[in-house]
Amino acid sequence: MTYRIGKVDVNALRGVNLAVPPGEFISIMGPSGCGKSTLLHILGGLLQPSAGRVLVDGEDLAAMGDAARTDMRRRKIGFVFQRFNLFPALTAEGNLNVAERIHGDGAQKMTSEERREVLRLLKLENKMHHKPLELSGGEQQRVAIARAIVNRPAIILADEPTGNLDSENSAIVLEMLQKLNQEFKQTIVMITHNPEAAAIANRTVEMRDGMIINQGSRA
Amino acid sequence: MDSLVISSLRQRPTRTLISVLGVALGVILVALNTGLVEGMLNDRLRREQGVGAEIEFARQSSGGWSPSSVMSLDTRYDDPLKQIAGVKTVSPVGRHVQSGNSGLGFEVVEGIDFPSYAEMSGLQIIEGRVFQADDEVIIDQFKAQHNKLSVGSEIQVFGKTLKVAGIYAPEIGSRIKLSLDALQNYLAAPNKCSTILIKVDDPARQEEIQQQIAAKLPGNHVILRRNLNLGMSNSIPGIKGFVRAVLGLSVVVSTLVILLAMYTTITERTREIGIMKSLGAPKSYIIGVIEREALAISAIGVVLGFVVSLLAAWAIERATTLQLEFQWSWLLTAALLGLAGGALGALYPAIRAANQDPVKALAYE
Repeated sequence: MTYRIGKVDVNALRGVNLAVPPGEFISIMGPSGCGKSTLLHILGGLLQPSAGRVLVDGEDLAAMGDAARTDMRRRKIGFVFQRFNLFPALTAEGNLNVAERIHGDGAQKMTSEERREVLRLLKLENKMHHKPLELSGGEQQRVAIARAIVNRPAIILADEPTGNLDSENSAIVLEMLQKLNQEFKQTIVMITHNPEAAAIANRTVEMRDGMIINQGSRA
Repeated sequence: MDSLVISSLRQRPTRTLISVLGVALGVILVALNTGLVEGMLNDRLRREQGVGAEIEFARQSSGGWSPSSVMSLDTRYDDPLKQIAGVKTVSPVGRHVQSGNSGLGFEVVEGIDFPSYAEMSGLQIIEGRVFQADDEVIIDQFKAQHNKLSVGSEIQVFGKTLKVAGIYAPEIGSRIKLSLDALQNYLAAPNKCSTILIKVDDPARQEEIQQQIAAKLPGNHVILRRNLNLGMSNSIPGIKGFVRAVLGLSVVVSTLVILLAMYTTITERTREIGIMKSLGAPKSYIIGVIEREALAISAIGVVLGFVVSLLAAWAIERATTLQLEFQWSWLLTAALLGLAGGALGALYPAIRAANQDPVKALAYE
């Protein structure tokens, strides 16, 4: 796939070819500006490639209109961002509720028991009535992860999820992602600059200048 | 209700308060103005119906009942009118309109021929006596109590200081009356009046007598006073246009206030909109969140508008002789206009929010 930005035709992605089997946890590494985030946004349907195909469960995101891509994202994809991106005025509980409400009453929705289990795994049971500013960075990121998975998406796209965290909280978040991958069989694509973080993934893809230079091999 | 809506209302209290006040202002405009129009018309109607005349005779040019100071009808019409079979009493009345004592609204002063008017209406002096000189007036009990006037008090009419000679009951016609001769003198209109009130022997024959009068004295306006209801609202110049203008103004105020408030809000909430999009929120969901917020603000504004209108009505009635009557239909109209204005005002910002680029929105600082 290819993605161009602006009038001067900057090729943010050039001939990227990447396959991620269901249940795989991959990390993407590369220098700043190499196109990692653009790739993640395209995989999540937030951007549309200028050329090429993006197949998710056989459905081509690149051929879809905005509404269809939004619907695909709602049904199958959960995002985790470096800056947490929680609704600041809502409590942790409220953030999860909004995600559930947007998702609607689909069959994928977690039961209240499953939801309690996820909150226990993320050590958030006693934090649900706190607003983001009342939580530490690590706690905020765990709420963001809980929000991303509350509707049991098949795919989690994490854009530098530990980028704003200290090493202790980074370790907690990475452990959570690993558990989610192993216990809930979710496909995870994680962007990171940190080789230690990348090492927990099944394989590490390396990018440079809008291209994939190393597809990595399964650990 | 959506917690995103409630949290946004709480998070921006100044914005919420100003928006609520804007919508309330629109509601107050509608409620108070229509309440005032209805109150004044109905109050006047009740008092006019109490006069006891079934037919009113006026010049064609006056266009029927009208609160104007025009005295163009010759009082000498009363003789031919008395001769028509079935006519019981004839009473010429002059009308003068002046601004209300408090500076709000207007008030009608009537010049009457006391004996014939009292016979027709059953008006009685309950305190003091009837006017005997040009500088004397009689007032009704409401006027006396409301303006704290009593026999011997002074009152401003035609810009002159007149004396209250007596207080009458029941409340009929205008609240201030003086002799027709005095009014003619003040307005320099000898032998003129505004209208001649006619009481018939048998009210069942009023239409027949109306037709006889019209045939005998053609070129004049012969009105059945049971139709005053329609006549009043039609004869006050521009009243319907005024009400329409108030309604339009109310919608414009509500719409603009909400438009500005929500437009500012969505700029502040660009990142939140990006988050919603990343969670897979369709455009309809984002539009729904913004619209629900606008409707919540509008609903609070409508309630506040009603409360303020009721308080203002109470204060106006205490401070002036104006009467306000709120009708459910107008209150419902005010509420619907407030809500519709809010929904309409939020629509453009909502659509703009829904169409934002999710990646740019997420990167918004």
